[in-house]
Amino acid sequence: MLKILLEKELRDIIYSTKFAITFAAAAVLVLLSFYVGIRNYHESVREYEAAKATNAASIAAATDWRQVQNRVFRKPQPLEVLVNGVTNDVGRTTDMRASGELTLINSRFSADPLFAVFRFLDLNFVVIIVFSLFAILFGYDAINGEKESGTLKLVFSNKVSRASFIMGKLLGSVIALGVPLLVPLLIGCLMLLGLGVPMSGDEWIRLGLLIFAGLLSFGVFLTLSIMISAMVTRSSVSFLLSLVVWIFSVLIVPKGSVLLASQIASAPSMDAIESQKRKFTADQMTRRMAAMQQWFSSRSTGMDTSFVSKFATYQDSMTKSYEQERQDFYGRLNEDWRNKKDWQEQWAFGISRVSPTAVFQIAAMNLSGTDVGMKFRYLQELDRYQDSYAKFIQAKTGSMADYMRVVIRRFSSAQSDEDKQKTLNPSELPEFVVQPRPLGSTIAASLFDLGLLVVLNALFFGGAFIAFLRFDLR
Amino acid sequence: MDQNNILEAQALTKVYEDGLCALDHVSFSVKAGEIFCLLGDNGAGKTTTINLFLGFLNPTEGTAIINGIDVTKDPLAAKQHVAYLSDVVMLYPNFTARQNLDFFARLGGRQNLKRDDYYNVLRQVGLQEKAFEQRLKGFSKGMRQKVGLAIAIVKEAPAIILDEPTSGLDPKAANEFLAILHQLRAQGRAILISTHDIFRAKEISDTVGIMSEGKLLAMKTRAELEHENLEKLYLDYIQGKVAA
Repeated sequence: MLKILLEKELRDIIYSTKFAITFAAAAVLVLLSFYVGIRNYHESVREYEAAKATNAASIAAATDWRQVQNRVFRKPQPLEVLVNGVTNDVGRTTDMRASGELTLINSRFSADPLFAVFRFLDLNFVVIIVFSLFAILFGYDAINGEKESGTLKLVFSNKVSRASFIMGKLLGSVIALGVPLLVPLLIGCLMLLGLGVPMSGDEWIRLGLLIFAGLLSFGVFLTLSIMISAMVTRSSVSFLLSLVVWIFSVLIVPKGSVLLASQIASAPSMDAIESQKRKFTADQMTRRMAAMQQWFSSRSTGMDTSFVSKFATYQDSMTKSYEQERQDFYGRLNEDWRNKKDWQEQWAFGISRVSPTAVFQIAAMNLSGTDVGMKFRYLQELDRYQDSYAKFIQAKTGSMADYMRVVIRRFSSAQSDEDKQKTLNPSELPEFVVQPRPLGSTIAASLFDLGLLVVLNALFFGGAFIAFLRFDLR
Repeated sequence: MDQNNILEAQALTKVYEDGLCALDHVSFSVKAGEIFCLLGDNGAGKTTTINLFLGFLNPTEGTAIINGIDVTKDPLAAKQHVAYLSDVVMLYPNFTARQNLDFFARLGGRQNLKRDDYYNVLRQVGLQEKAFEQRLKGFSKGMRQKVGLAIAIVKEAPAIILDEPTSGLDPKAANEFLAILHQLRAQGRAILISTHDIFRAKEISDTVGIMSEGKLLAMKTRAELEHENLEKLYLDYIQGKVAA
């Protein structure tokens, strides 16, 4: 009996004009999201390569490592373009210094403010908006629609149990709608291969899990709307209820959770932190200038070689101690801010998980590496690189370079032409390589949300089942 | 219990939780080769009676029996012996007439029917050949009613229950429909019809049961109705001019 009902459900959905139109729209949007993502990826890679080349040229034109204004650039990752997450808000460029705090500038949205308003069409958008609407459109009248058309009574005038009917309805809907959605997603994967997006094995696994999460999210909305359909007699009412649930889930809960979390767990704004840092730096600079003046005034000798060398040594020791002081202060400030922010984020994510859309979004961003921790992880990579960069600069210049170093140079006509023309070799610089987040860590970060999506599917599946057992067939 | 009765209502009573008595000790039976019409206004209890026979409701008292099986005790077994046609016959609009028939035939236990078998039944109910493989989307109510009747026929159940089968049909379609019911009666099916169409009830029924406010006020056989004005009788009963 289940087989007959399942087969009917599959046919009923696939033969419908509603399916043809909505599936075509969903398929086009999925493929478009892959296409736009791939195009954006290639464009980002081109920009990245061009920026690197310009930076190398500027280094090559310099003759002294002290003059170098080195910049490092965030390399685009293939999955970032499928699930943008916070990637476009995070700066792509960093002015690398041997000491001092590093900042990220030139985010995608600062370069293209229009996209900050309308955002890019990515797979995340297609899943949370299009897939969920697609699911609701087919689920809202799954049960009460059959009652309105008289087919429910006709079916149950036969030897059909309620359990087999609802199982056929749920499984049939999931298969009839879920499997076709896999087709454009798999074509999208082929597009990644065909259009030259370099994907590692880990990235394929993450993409596979991302697609799985997308289908789970779709399943949640489908089973939820079927459950509503089994709880309400009229399809017009269940449509309205499903739409309200959708609006809350997609639009209100995620935004509301951030507002609520900021009320529950407050954290100072970034501006307040920056202000404290600026005040500290200004104070440090004043103290440092005073110390230097004192050092100069205590020495009356002329600027001979030994004076320059002593001054360099003094500056090195001062730089070291001030840098340590700065690092300690900034570290405490950053850690305190980070802890408060983590707590706030935990509240926000915890509350937002009421919404299946938010659950998917959190899982998707974790899988694609564009979650809210992305900036922090990248800054850690930059800090690591800064250490090796500082060592390199010290090795090249013989002194510690820092942002307020006083450089004493003696100019003489005796300087040889060879010295003047000796330019730098940028390839000597240590390479900035960002270690990808390990697969295990990525999966661990998204496992809770993937599990939650599975639980929500089971919950609404069971809910629809129980609701139908109590449904008035008349 | 008479062994010849295919459908039998024994003091069927339905009182809802809010105290509304929808059916009050209704008893009647329908034999093989007999058409029984339940005649009454909206809310008279006709559809409640049908819902009790189909197991969509449980009786407060009494028993609904189909082919000797108590519907309350074994609803699934009882449903094997009855075919049903609803007043709302939308069916599945994305399926063709044949596909609808195939689905309901298989639900009714007829697993191995071939395309020609379905075509024969559709011919029997008078559906045009060109409509056999057309989707029901564009079908008129009359055409859908024919497919619905085909669904009832293809199950080959000894009992057929029809809820307001001619409502919304034009006179020609209604007459064609009644002609098919005559054929089914001749084949020995026990047919229970609920209707408020007095003239067609008189025309087709072997027995007419007049219902009002959940009670079966009277049962008149074809012979008894020969010389009676059913419309007047019906109005007299429901206005209380004649004692039940």
